[in-house]
Amino acid sequence: MKRLHKAGRISFVRFALYVNLMAALSLSMSACTNVERSRDVGNPNVSAEVTAKQVCSTCHGMTGNAASPNFPRLAGQQAAYLEEQLKNFRDGQRTDKEGQQYMWGLSRKMSDEQIKALAEYFAKQTPELNVTERTSSLAEGKTIFESGIPEKGVPACMACHGPNGEGIAAFPRLAGQHQNYVARQMKVFKENDGRPGTSMEQVAVKLDAGEISAVAAYVQSLPQSNVVAGAGVSAQ
Amino acid sequence: MYPLIILLRRFKEWFVSGDAFLACIPLLVILFLLLPDVSHAIPVFARQTGQGCVACHAGGQFPELTPYGRMFKLTGYTLGNRTDVPLAMMAVVSSNSVSSKTPGTGDTHADFPDNGKVQFTTASLFAGGKITDNIGMFGQWTYNAYDTLDPNGHWAGHTVSDQFDLRYADRFIGDQTDFIIGGSINNNPGVTDVWNTFNSAFSSVPSYVPASNPAGNGGLFVAPPATPMMLQLGPVAAGINVYGYWNRSIYAELGAYQTANGAFSFLSQGIADSDMPKLKGQFNPYWRFAYNHEWGANNVMAGIFGMNAQIYANSPETSGPTTRYRDIGVDAQFQHLLDDHVITAQASYIHENQSYDDALWDPANPNYSGAHSNSSNTLDYFRAKATYVYQASYGASLSFAASTGSTDALTYANSPDGNGNPVPFGSVNSTPNTKIWIPEIFWIPIQNLRVGLQYYRFTEFNGGTNNYDGNGRNASNNNTVFAYAWGAF
Repeated sequence: MKRLHKAGRISFVRFALYVNLMAALSLSMSACTNVERSRDVGNPNVSAEVTAKQVCSTCHGMTGNAASPNFPRLAGQQAAYLEEQLKNFRDGQRTDKEGQQYMWGLSRKMSDEQIKALAEYFAKQTPELNVTERTSSLAEGKTIFESGIPEKGVPACMACHGPNGEGIAAFPRLAGQHQNYVARQMKVFKENDGRPGTSMEQVAVKLDAGEISAVAAYVQSLPQSNVVAGAGVSAQ
Repeated sequence: MYPLIILLRRFKEWFVSGDAFLACIPLLVILFLLLPDVSHAIPVFARQTGQGCVACHAGGQFPELTPYGRMFKLTGYTLGNRTDVPLAMMAVVSSNSVSSKTPGTGDTHADFPDNGKVQFTTASLFAGGKITDNIGMFGQWTYNAYDTLDPNGHWAGHTVSDQFDLRYADRFIGDQTDFIIGGSINNNPGVTDVWNTFNSAFSSVPSYVPASNPAGNGGLFVAPPATPMMLQLGPVAAGINVYGYWNRSIYAELGAYQTANGAFSFLSQGIADSDMPKLKGQFNPYWRFAYNHEWGANNVMAGIFGMNAQIYANSPETSGPTTRYRDIGVDAQFQHLLDDHVITAQASYIHENQSYDDALWDPANPNYSGAHSNSSNTLDYFRAKATYVYQASYGASLSFAASTGSTDALTYANSPDGNGNPVPFGSVNSTPNTKIWIPEIFWIPIQNLRVGLQYYRFTEFNGGTNNYDGNGRNASNNNTVFAYAWGAF
């Protein structure tokens, strides 16, 4: 079947006119802001709640409980940790591949105040229970989390991340975090310096893939009540 | 090196020929490289959000959108920061090689011009992105280097308005609700859609061939010869659409299309009014409903869509008989997106009814000059594709496409060269029935560059496996190897 139209030639003058008209339109409308429902991450007048709902929610979920394990859960995360990570993204300090691909651009024009407010917003959200993986390695993960692996010099995770993985200040909450996400971060710690300001590299290099998978599965199932009772138990 | 030499030679020709738009390309490239804010010089939306291609495109493979990419488009391209230079470029170098150049008309050069040569196929300029908090646009202008073959066997290139989508969108978020509403002015039915299953502009099925068929039917076997109207119209139909997306699950869109001339001629720049098919009236309806579900790293969509259009049979004249097209389709998509593995699958099926509203219709009448033997025809078009991408770098896909239509000696004539000669695109059986399998491998060494190799294996062509054109040509003679390099910055 022949094509339904033939091509002709576009006038450069006319093309230039359109580009300029668009630029003029763009400039003249720069005052048209809608801070109540804006997706402009560089506008300090847009509140953290609006940015969280209009922008962050697309991957991290409306309440910070990301459904996809491709993206970390942020609900109930430590505000100090979130603030530090967002600043590391913004300043190009966190060079892990996914951090660069997803977070550098969105954070690049954020002010310290915007970052602080966003961190506080997500810290206040209620973390939902995640799925408990029915895997035999949960017990192994629990042991590593609570006691470490003394013969390898691996400390207990709970020493810094809290007895229920709830995190403490710059030590992130791990409870309910996606297993896949935690395991990928451990790989980053292990293989490169993509995440500065942490001593996790020294821990991660001592763990093999099976141990990482086990402890990541365990933290996904936290808090402990979830491990015991399964889904349907309130997290906090 | 060879494609680079061709590219440089082409630039020189553009300068000499005075095609100012094209001559600007190297200047724009230099401009991008010099501007500090665009040192990650990547297409216009990536520059706006600052994110990598994988954020919006599944496994980094354009054009297939991730859930995030769909939300970006549905919220009117307004997420991120407005860029100072809302422009981007895309270029394609490709080469195709057909299994057998004979039998044909006897003139293998005319049948398969530039077969086996490396060609600088197309270049596109993109302009768009966020304009206000609620308004954004996607505009593409494309130079097809192999647009028209002149009588001396030389290709003439042309620049045309390609895809265009200017949107207004707002997103209302409540405790239990997430509601996006929007409107679009666009120039091609389906350009507004966010699932890449059926639309002509951004379909990833069959395997995405960037500007695959610049020569029309000029010797490139990469699609069935007959496809439904709504995929054929191209950027010549002005549409005004409205849509809503409820809780990331229910999507509904309605549109009305008319010829993109007069006040809408800005949507079809480069296409002469006399070359446009003329739609009757201003309200040729387009509709699309979809159900979307996301869980874990997976998402599925199931949808229905369609378009009715009346097109003047003697276009560009806007009088006389019309052809009434009724297209109705179903489609589905599955995506599993979890680094390092991306698995996606799409399928779409369109049933088209064509009825010829011609008072003179009578094939037995020697004065009848219409193009159809039957008073109505049907055409069914099915496509499916499955893709795997590892680390957004190494990918493989398998596609299948099938056109099936009614028998019509005039619509699917065996002498489309007008001289009564059977040519490789004729059909001795007078049907468009074509089946293609397309395996593909591709490599994305950096996110701005993709190279790929596709093989088009025809198990049926225009109604036959053997001797489909009555001249001894078999469907397998059309099997084609297609290699391409795609770059965007």
